[in-house]
Amino acid sequence: MSKRLTVRAVTMGVAALLAIPAFAADDAATRKDLTAVIALQGLPCGEVVSVKTQGDNDYIATCKDGNRYHVFVNSAGRVVAEKQ
Amino acid sequence: MKLEPKCIAGIGGLLVLLIVAGCGGVKPAPPAQPPTQSPTQLPIESPRSASQAAVESAAPPAPSPAPASASPPAAATPAATAAAEPAQRPTAAPSTSETVAKATPPAAKAAPKTPSVPAPATASVAQTPKPPPASTETAKPQPPPPPLDLESLETRLKETKAIGVMTKISLKNQVDDLLNQFRAFYAGKLKTSLAELRRPFDLLILKVLSLLQDSDPSLAAAIVASREAIWGILSDPVKFAKLAST
Repeated sequence: MSKRLTVRAVTMGVAALLAIPAFAADDAATRKDLTAVIALQGLPCGEVVSVKTQGDNDYIATCKDGNRYHVFVNSAGRVVAEKQ
Repeated sequence: MKLEPKCIAGIGGLLVLLIVAGCGGVKPAPPAQPPTQSPTQLPIESPRSASQAAVESAAPPAPSPAPASASPPAAATPAATAAAEPAQRPTAAPSTSETVAKATPPAAKAAPKTPSVPAPATASVAQTPKPPPASTETAKPQPPPPPLDLESLETRLKETKAIGVMTKISLKNQVDDLLNQFRAFYAGKLKTSLAELRRPFDLLILKVLSLLQDSDPSLAAAIVASREAIWGILSDPVKFAKLAST
């Protein structure tokens, strides 16, 4: 029993370790995406350093210069970046 | 032990001679380098500069007669610039065969006029005709620009991983805004000119290119190649109406 538990624990640990880079890559892609969106809107940002996902296509982006933006797709299908 | 300093001095002298001889041999190389560098940049700049060169190609023959009739010191600089301009244009816009055909006549015209110019001017002009043949040689092997395929471009833009989902939506919003501007312009609701509408078009293209150029350079090159063709559709009311209806 103890061996099985050990194997399961190790398996779960490995799976968690493998999942972390995947999340990190996804986060980096989202940051890059939101950086481009904010730049396309002509808003000051520089680079998005952190992202908080609020929902589907709904983010709070924090920029390197300290600005925070609520980036989302509104009901008309337009991408909006609101300064907070 | 006593001979070592002499040997070192001798070796040093030989090295200095070799370096000096090497520098003497290096000088002719720089003129040959510019033609080799230009073809690498040509595919990106060619479509837009092709139209510019086509428009400007009528200009060079006009200034060239003036220097011939002018006094020798004043004629030297315009002749040099007139000869230098054709040398630059074919390198910037060799993609179409029309531009090559138009670019060569100024060089051909400049050569016969040189005998009428006094000796100081001929010396400067005699050196300048050399670059145009080299640039025309580099321009000839380039194939004509591919035909515009909007559907393919649209598909590639949708499928590219170089642009994120939110950015794609944002870009589409801006494309729609620009198309609405054109609709309003052709409907007479927007009082502006095509020249003023060209600016947001160029800006939007630049935005797309800046997003693509690092991660999907082939698509960026395809967009650059189609740039003038897309503008041709937008700036033509009939073509634009067909595009809007589809």
